Amino acid sequence: MTKKFWRQGEPFVWATGLALSLILFLTLLLFYVVMANGLAVFWPKKVALATMSDGQHLLGEIVQEETIPGTANKRIQFKIGNRDLYGLDFKWVDTNSIVSLSFPENVQVLERQEYGNFYGYLSELEVKGISPPASGSNSLAQTIAALDSRKKEVDLLGKKIANLNRRVELIDHHLAKARYNKEEGTPALAALQGEKQGLKTEFEALVSILGKKAATLATNQAIFTDANGRTKAIALPNIIRAYQPNAMSFFAKCGYYLERLRELFFDEPRESNTEGGLFPAIFGTVMLIFLMSILSFPLGVLAGIYLREYAKDGWLVKMVRIAVNNLAGIPSIVYGIFGLGFFVYGIGGGIDQLFFPERLPTPTFGTGGILWTSLTLGLLTVPVVIVATEEALGSIPPGIREGSQALAATKLQTLTRILLPMASPGILTGFILAMARAAGEVAPLMITGVVKLAPALPLDGVFPYLHLDRKFMHLGFHIYDIGFQSPNVEAAKPMVYVTTLLLILIVLAMTSTAIHLRNKMRQRHSVVDV
Amino acid sequence: MQKLDKQFIKKVRRQDRLATRAITCGGLLVIASVIAILVLIVRVTLPLFQPASAEIIHRVSVGPGHAPVLAVGMDDTQEVGFTLDSTGLFSFYNLASGKAFFSAPASAKKAKVQSVESNKNNVFAILWEDNSVTVSQVDFRLLYDEFGQRTVQPEITRMGEYPARRYPAPVKSMMVRNHEGRLTQVALLANNRFQIDHEVITTDIFDNQKKETFSFLIAEELPGRISAFTLDEKGATLFAGTDTGSLLRWDLRENAAATRTDNVVAVPGDKPVTALAMVFGDISVAVGDAEGGLATWSQVWTGEGEGRAQRLRKTHTLASHQTSVESIIPTRRSKSLISLGFDGKAHFDHMTSEKHLLSLDPPLDMVGISGQGNSLIGLDGNNLTVWKIDAPHPEISLKTLFGKVWYESYDKPEYVWQSSSASDDFEPKLSLVPLLFGTLKGTLYAMVFAVPLAIFGAVYTSQFSPPTFKKTIKPVVEIMASIPSVVIGFLIALWLAPIVEKAILTVILSVLFLPLIFVGIMAALRPFYKTPTLQNFCNGHEFLMLAPVILLATALAMGIAPTVEQLLFAGNFKQWLYNDLGLRYDQRNCIIIAFGLGIAVIPIIFSITEDAISNIPPSLTAASLALGASRWQTIWRVVLPSASPGIFAAIMIGFGRAVGETMIVLMATGNTPILDWSIFNGMRTLSANIAVEIPEAPMGGTLYRVLFLCASMLFALTFLVNTGAELVRERLRKKYGRY
Repeated sequence: MTKKFWRQGEPFVWATGLALSLILFLTLLLFYVVMANGLAVFWPKKVALATMSDGQHLLGEIVQEETIPGTANKRIQFKIGNRDLYGLDFKWVDTNSIVSLSFPENVQVLERQEYGNFYGYLSELEVKGISPPASGSNSLAQTIAALDSRKKEVDLLGKKIANLNRRVELIDHHLAKARYNKEEGTPALAALQGEKQGLKTEFEALVSILGKKAATLATNQAIFTDANGRTKAIALPNIIRAYQPNAMSFFAKCGYYLERLRELFFDEPRESNTEGGLFPAIFGTVMLIFLMSILSFPLGVLAGIYLREYAKDGWLVKMVRIAVNNLAGIPSIVYGIFGLGFFVYGIGGGIDQLFFPERLPTPTFGTGGILWTSLTLGLLTVPVVIVATEEALGSIPPGIREGSQALAATKLQTLTRILLPMASPGILTGFILAMARAAGEVAPLMITGVVKLAPALPLDGVFPYLHLDRKFMHLGFHIYDIGFQSPNVEAAKPMVYVTTLLLILIVLAMTSTAIHLRNKMRQRHSVVDV
Repeated sequence: MQKLDKQFIKKVRRQDRLATRAITCGGLLVIASVIAILVLIVRVTLPLFQPASAEIIHRVSVGPGHAPVLAVGMDDTQEVGFTLDSTGLFSFYNLASGKAFFSAPASAKKAKVQSVESNKNNVFAILWEDNSVTVSQVDFRLLYDEFGQRTVQPEITRMGEYPARRYPAPVKSMMVRNHEGRLTQVALLANNRFQIDHEVITTDIFDNQKKETFSFLIAEELPGRISAFTLDEKGATLFAGTDTGSLLRWDLRENAAATRTDNVVAVPGDKPVTALAMVFGDISVAVGDAEGGLATWSQVWTGEGEGRAQRLRKTHTLASHQTSVESIIPTRRSKSLISLGFDGKAHFDHMTSEKHLLSLDPPLDMVGISGQGNSLIGLDGNNLTVWKIDAPHPEISLKTLFGKVWYESYDKPEYVWQSSSASDDFEPKLSLVPLLFGTLKGTLYAMVFAVPLAIFGAVYTSQFSPPTFKKTIKPVVEIMASIPSVVIGFLIALWLAPIVEKAILTVILSVLFLPLIFVGIMAALRPFYKTPTLQNFCNGHEFLMLAPVILLATALAMGIAPTVEQLLFAGNFKQWLYNDLGLRYDQRNCIIIAFGLGIAVIPIIFSITEDAISNIPPSLTAASLALGASRWQTIWRVVLPSASPGIFAAIMIGFGRAVGETMIVLMATGNTPILDWSIFNGMRTLSANIAVEIPEAPMGGTLYRVLFLCASMLFALTFLVNTGAELVRERLRKKYGRY
């Protein structure tokens, strides 16, 4: 009987089970890591005050604890911030050298425009122009809130100046074009020049106002002391947020979390992308998917319809099928390099020669941009749409087609009135899968137009509104960039996890919708199918 | 019955025809785009393998009655050529019109030129018959008038005049000034000795300049008469060839003396060395001999231990001339050489690739080259001929791409990928072998990890798990397939790699323990497996029951690892690896890559395998079970063989994906192009290489085209694999009569 156990192969069945549980285990582990690290980033952590055996103090968030390799001792990693004072954000401390750990309530955490977080105590506020707040635990936050309106004024001025700059640039382009076409001295040109002059004076006036306002704003400052009593004056406009994590209630922490989420979705990044929001990256990703869809969906559906409804079965169809499958299997980097050679240098270079010769050798379309990226991605996702369309049409029983044509409908009528509506959930599934693929693809973008930090969005209020030649930011590239190219990887990690979580959620939401739709469609057709 | 409006029917028909056409076009467009991608990528790479060509663009007569010409040269715009004749006169010719428009003497003195040597482009050391030396440089200035018309204006800069020295008559003289301002003159005297003169200008802290001169003779016994010599641009090394075929090398770095560092036989059979020249970069020296042989020599580390020293070795042999090599002119932009034979044939060769690029036929007396190396000027009799040379990628040949090449400063021929460096005179090393190797290595380790897991998992899901589980597991795996690769790359490189680095022994031990514990549990289960309770409980839930095994194995490995490390590996496994096995441990290694790529391809292999197995008609399984086969026997003997083409296709498609995967390998391999099978270090793959290098590759350059070649190789690889898989699947579909 025992021999039979092995001979009949029962252990192998269990072995296959083990393989499946390993796969599921890995998947769960992956998601767990992303979730656990990503979700916790914005939750305010308590700040610990460590008193060391040599009498020094240390203030920081506890990041992790580990055994020192080769010994039985433990050590703790603190995030001590104050990069401008200490040079390093993180510090490992031997637990043996710590005398006591406490969590004082009056510790202030500042999120700043530069140099990362500050941990310390507030000692003094030097405020002008607004009534000094009642001294209390919240005085700093109140003052910052009071300054907010003036800060916004300055920001608005900055935006105005940037807008002016862009208009001047546009006029410069017109002027260069006129000069290139040898249209010197025409009234239109003179008008342009006059307009430019006007803009310039306006620009200079604004800049001087901005300078003054920013300077007066910056005189509002607060004096802080760090754990060891070193004082540090910080201008209030440089402080983005101040809070006292050790004194916060649960609801206050929730509020803080929501505020950080708002910042994530709607604000610009700071500190070489490792802090602040993701708005330009999210916008770029959405815009890319949108443009890609416009290009790839019609073509894919057309090709799918051709294959299923129009092409006569033969070597040609077989070839097309193989071609489509190959398209789906070509590595994305090959698409990228094709996009670079064909779209960017080929077509883009040609457009520059034809339409923007006055700007050469500075390329306009002859360099990476969102148009070329979306074309490349469009090509990359076409096979997904083709296969989905074909499958959706193929699962419609032939009787329906025959019925329609027996009632004297033409092929086109059958297609548009009967087949496409029936196949629409399947085609939609293909669309969503294509979009999910486009959202997660990074390699081809890197060489056809994605950048670390784009100065302007591809869509804005300056004519011609949609700037297809602009470079853009992207969530996937953001992960690669801040995780691997940033000078301070340890400090950038939280942001990478958040971006990863966001990207995974977007892709998973799309994919699960697609799968759900497909399953529904299968159920529906399984009733029709006999 | 109401009749349809004729107009309407017409319209409908027209629309239908139109749609048919449009849709057909769309379909054909897809094939066209696949072909277009292939064609474009290949087209970009093609110029790499195009032979070089030369085209005569100007022919100018210098006229009879001219003093004998000693040197020729030209400018970069291919508009002006010049000659230097034996009276020391530079004459400039407008190449388009053939007119001599400007001439100037190299020196005010009225003497005859004895010899002219040039070690830099358009810099000439003129040795007069009275033993004095003039160093002159020819420059071309581009002038633009108000209409944008360009004229080229030649200029002669006299860099130095050196009075005659007292020693016996020199035969030839060379002169260079190095970056520190030391001027070195090497003169070959009629008595077969070298006279070395250094002029060193030093500036002390009070800004007083002091000129020191050092003068000495190399008086040692030489193996033969010096028949050629050359000096590098720094004046630090002197090479000389003798009429007995020896190649000698002196170190001139010291001011007061020269040390001979080498004496090798460069030409066998006592045949003389007839021409010497430093190849651009000053590392290799090109040697031409009386037999017409042309080779480059460079210093190579040889020997072991104490005897380890740098010796001259022949590194490249270039195409031979029919007759003896008269002169060698290196280009100043690449490692290319022009050599002129006694029969007047000029050869254009590239050192690294050993490619013979061109032969120029009309018998030439001398040749010169433009600064950019894109045009050549030759003198035959009284005619100056100018060739435009089109050799865009001389450094590329099938051998440099796929073979071992002996690069400068390397001890032996090797496969190396190193595309760029900070200096201009760098020799690009563009071997694709390390990249292909890296691609295969990464893919192979990933497949070893992924294929068994995916196929076993798929078998279990389709055959043993209850339908409800199947319904949830399939979407879960599909969702897993949609995880962006940048996410996987980030997680394995920044989260997993440091963990594995810390606990590498734990990882290895858990891989060992997992099967052991599994077998142990199986052995423990053996007596009970027929009991109905166990069967009811376990059937279809085996994978859940086994989940703790994974945790158990990991926990056990974690617990034991420190002890094992202490006992077996002297407390440090990585150190032990390095000391005892010679394996270096990189943080980003193949274990990490196998894991990352594995996660990327498992869902693909899983899904396709699962489909293939599910498509096997249930009647087959039923028949097998009815004949008394156990469920595993049915799978092993009936289901898997029938589904094998599908499984094969699944593996192929997974392979294709792993080969082309970019982000994961880019982030987690370390991107070092090494040839090493060790699982503990990284690699660089073709795809990551493209991503790393393309931002630095100027369009149309060699690197750009080589990267396109990488892309077309990836394309070809995936094309073969995917087409194969598709054909297999097609057959399977036909066999089982399902879509």
